[in-house]
Amino acid sequence: MLGRKIARHGLAIVATVLLGGLLSAALMRLAPGFDADEAELDPHLNAASIQALRQARLEQHNIFRFYFHSLQRAAHGDLGTSISLRQPVSVLLRERAPLTLRLVGIGLLLSWAVAMALALSAAWLRVSAYDALTTVISGTFLCIPAAVLALLSVLWNVPGALAIGLIVFPRVYRYARNLLGKAYSLPHIITARAKGLSELRILFWHVVPVAGPQLLAVAGVSVSIAVGAAIPVEALCGLAGVGQLAWQAALARDLPLLTNLTILVTLVTLLANSGADVIGHILRGHEA
Amino acid sequence: MTDLQGRLAVMETTCRKILLGIACLGILAGSALAQGELRFCLRSEPKTFDPLQVEDESSGAIRYLTGGVLVRLNRQTQALEPELAQSWKVSKDGKQITFKLRSGLSFSDGTAFSAEDVAYTVKQLMDPALHSPTGDTFRSGPGNVETNIISATQISITFPAPVAGLDRQFDQVAILSAHSAKKEMAVLGPFMVSDYKPGSTVLLKRNPNYWKTDAQGRKLPYLDSIKLDIQPNRDVEMLRFKRGEIDLINTLDSEYFDKLAATSPQLVHDAGPSLDSEQMWFNEVARAPLPAYKKTWFRSANFRRAISAAINRDDLARVVFRGHAQAAVGPVSPANKFWFNARLKPETHSSDAALKALQGEGFRLENGTLKDVGGNAVVFSIITNSGNKYRERMATMIQEDLQKIGIQVNVVTLDFPSLIERMTQTFDYEAVLLGLTNVGLDPSEQMNVWLSSSENHQWNPSEKTPETAWEAEIDRLMRAQASSADAKKRKESFDRVQEIAVEQAPFIYLVNRNALSAVAATVQGATPVILVPQTYWDADRLTIEQQGATAAK
Repeated sequence: MLGRKIARHGLAIVATVLLGGLLSAALMRLAPGFDADEAELDPHLNAASIQALRQARLEQHNIFRFYFHSLQRAAHGDLGTSISLRQPVSVLLRERAPLTLRLVGIGLLLSWAVAMALALSAAWLRVSAYDALTTVISGTFLCIPAAVLALLSVLWNVPGALAIGLIVFPRVYRYARNLLGKAYSLPHIITARAKGLSELRILFWHVVPVAGPQLLAVAGVSVSIAVGAAIPVEALCGLAGVGQLAWQAALARDLPLLTNLTILVTLVTLLANSGADVIGHILRGHEA
Repeated sequence: MTDLQGRLAVMETTCRKILLGIACLGILAGSALAQGELRFCLRSEPKTFDPLQVEDESSGAIRYLTGGVLVRLNRQTQALEPELAQSWKVSKDGKQITFKLRSGLSFSDGTAFSAEDVAYTVKQLMDPALHSPTGDTFRSGPGNVETNIISATQISITFPAPVAGLDRQFDQVAILSAHSAKKEMAVLGPFMVSDYKPGSTVLLKRNPNYWKTDAQGRKLPYLDSIKLDIQPNRDVEMLRFKRGEIDLINTLDSEYFDKLAATSPQLVHDAGPSLDSEQMWFNEVARAPLPAYKKTWFRSANFRRAISAAINRDDLARVVFRGHAQAAVGPVSPANKFWFNARLKPETHSSDAALKALQGEGFRLENGTLKDVGGNAVVFSIITNSGNKYRERMATMIQEDLQKIGIQVNVVTLDFPSLIERMTQTFDYEAVLLGLTNVGLDPSEQMNVWLSSSENHQWNPSEKTPETAWEAEIDRLMRAQASSADAKKRKESFDRVQEIAVEQAPFIYLVNRNALSAVAATVQGATPVILVPQTYWDADRLTIEQQGATAAK
C-alpha cells in the first residue's frame, strides 16, 4: 500500500517536473524580447559579431527540439550554459544553492516557531482578545508584500532569512490556528481537559495525533511558499542565491537557466508536498 | 624581597613584555592596514575575466584594474600616455603601429613580458571566431592583421586597412601572456583577481610584480586589495555607502546625489557633463509595421527638427536631473574636448517656431489637435525602458511639451529585452527614448552607429544603400575620417558629421548627464573625472586612511 503510494508520487513528480520544464520553456519562448540580446546595442560590434550573437540563440527557436536536447544533455549531467552569465548552469546552481537552502531553512524554522507558538497559545488560552491580537498580527504580515518585507530587512540590516520567515509565518499561522482550534474543540479533548489532564499531555497525546497529518501537509506547502519568497528577498537584498539567479534569468530571457531553475523549484516543491503526504499516510496508518 | 614579591615582580615584567608585544603587533597591523582595502560595488555579475571578451561594464571594470595596456588614455587630461610601451609610432597611412616596449617587466605570476606577448594578444584579439567587441573596433577592412616582432622590446602591427585613432584603441587592449599557465589570470596591471564568489564578490589583490613606482620610488599600487561587491540594487548600494560598508559609488543618480549632498557635501562630486547622452529617435525603417502617413512624418527632417525645437531641454536638465545635466548640443558632448564641434549651438526651445515649421510642412492645428495634410491627428508613442525613472520623467515632460503644439504622445515603458526586440528585430515602435553610454572619445567608436549599412544605425538599420543623400554623405565622411591618420582632417570630417546630424535630427539629443560620484572621506587621492571609470581611474595611487571607518561619518 505504502509502496504503491510512493511509486504513484514518484511518477507524478517525474511527469509534473517534465511538463513544468516544458511549460516554462514555452512561456519564455513566447515572452516578448525572447530573441533580443542587450549586447547587440554595443556600437563596437560589427555585423558578423551581431549575427553570431543571434546565431547562438537559434537552437532555442524550436522549443520542443531545445527541450529534447536539454533533457538529453541533462541525462549526461550537462545542464547547459547560461546565456546571460556565460557559465555552466550546473556550476551556477552548485554555487548558489547552499545560500538559498540556508535562507529557506532558517526562514521556515522561524516561521513555524512563531506560528506554532502563537497558534498553540491562542488555542490553549481561548481568550478572544488574545485570539484577535494574534489574528491581527498575522493578518498584518499577510497584507505586507514580500518585496516590502525584503526592503525593510535591507533598511534595518537584518538577515534575509527573517524576511522569509515573516512572509511564511502568517500563512502557516492561519492553518495551524484553525487546525488546533478544531482539534481542541473535539469532545474527547474537552472531556480530557474537564478531567484535569495536563495541557502538555493533551497536546502531545490527543491534539497532535489529530492535527498532525494536516499540519504536515501545511509544512509541505510552506516549503513552496518559502522558496517563492526567496526570489524577491534575494533579488532585493542582493543575496547571491538561486532566487536571485531566477530573477536575473527571467529578466535576461535566459532560457537554459530558467528552464533548469523551474525544474529544480518544481522538484523541491513536489518532494516537500509528497514527503509530507507520505509521512502523513504513515502516521495515519500507525494511528489506525 | 620576599618570595611572593619576587614572583610578583617577575609577573609584572612578563606582563609588560606581553603588553609591549601586543602593542608592537598592533603597530605592525596598523601599518599594514594603512594601505588598506578599497570596497565598492559592481552593478552586475562580470560576464568574463578574459579581457579580450569584455562587453559589459563589470568585466570592463575588472579589466581596467587588472589589465596592463601598452598605452593609457589619461582620464583627467584626455591625453594618451605610455604604459607598457615606452613609445609608439603610427605610420602615415594609419595602417601600422610600432611599439617600443619597456624591458624587465613581469606578469603577476612572474612570467617575463616581451613583444611575443603583444603578438599573441593581437592574434587572439583579431580571431574572427572570438567576436570580441574590442577586436571589432580594429576591423576596418577585410584581410589579416600582421605582427612583426622586431626584437624582444619592439613590435610592429600592420592592419589591412587604416584604423582610425589606432593608438588610442590600444587603451582597451589588456596584454595577455603567451606562456603563462594561468592564461588571462596572469596580468600586468596593478591588481590581480584573487578570489571570486559568484553573485557575491570579486577580490582583487595587489600585483606584486606591478612595474610602476611613485615619485619617491615606492612600489605601486598603495592599496593591498580591492573588494568588489556585486550589487545590482542601487538603493542597497547607497545604503551600504552611508553605513560605511563601501568606499565609493562610481556613478550616482542625481536624486541620491542631492540627498547625500544635503548631509555630507564633502563626499559627493559633480565632475560636470559626461560623455553620456540621452536621446530620442523616430522609426524610419521602411518595412516597419506602421501606417504610411506616420512613416512620412518620421522620415521628414522638418518634422523631426520641429519636434526637437518643441522640447525644452533646459527644463529636462533642471527638473528631471535636478540641474545635474546640460542641454545636449549634438552627437558629441562638450566634455569630449577634442572632438566636440564648438560651432554647434544648443537648440533654442520654441513651441511657436516648432508649430510654424510644421505648418510649413502642411500640418495644421484644429481645436488644439495637430493634423497632417491627410487629416490624420498627430499621435505617436515613445517607448523607453521601464524602471528608469529619469527616462520615464523625461518622456512625461516631452509629452507635455508636445501637447502644447497639439501632438498627443503616449509614453510606453517596456522591459529591456522587449525594447531591444522592437528596436532591432520587429521595428514595431514609433519613437524611442534611450541613453547612449560613450566610453571612448574617438568617433571611430561610433562607426557602427553612423554607417547606414550598420545594424546599430538605430533609426534605420542595415540599409543596403544609403536611403537619403545626407546618410550617404555621413557614410563618406565617417569613412574618410576613419581612413586618415591626420587628426586635423579627421576632425574636419567629423565636425561635418555632427552638423549633418543636427540639421537632419535622426537622433534628437536631449541632455548630457553629469558625472556624479561619491567617495568616502577615508579614500585619499581620489579625483573624480568625467571619463569611465570616474572615481578609480588612478586606483594604483589611491590609499585608505583608516580601515573600517564609517564613510558617512
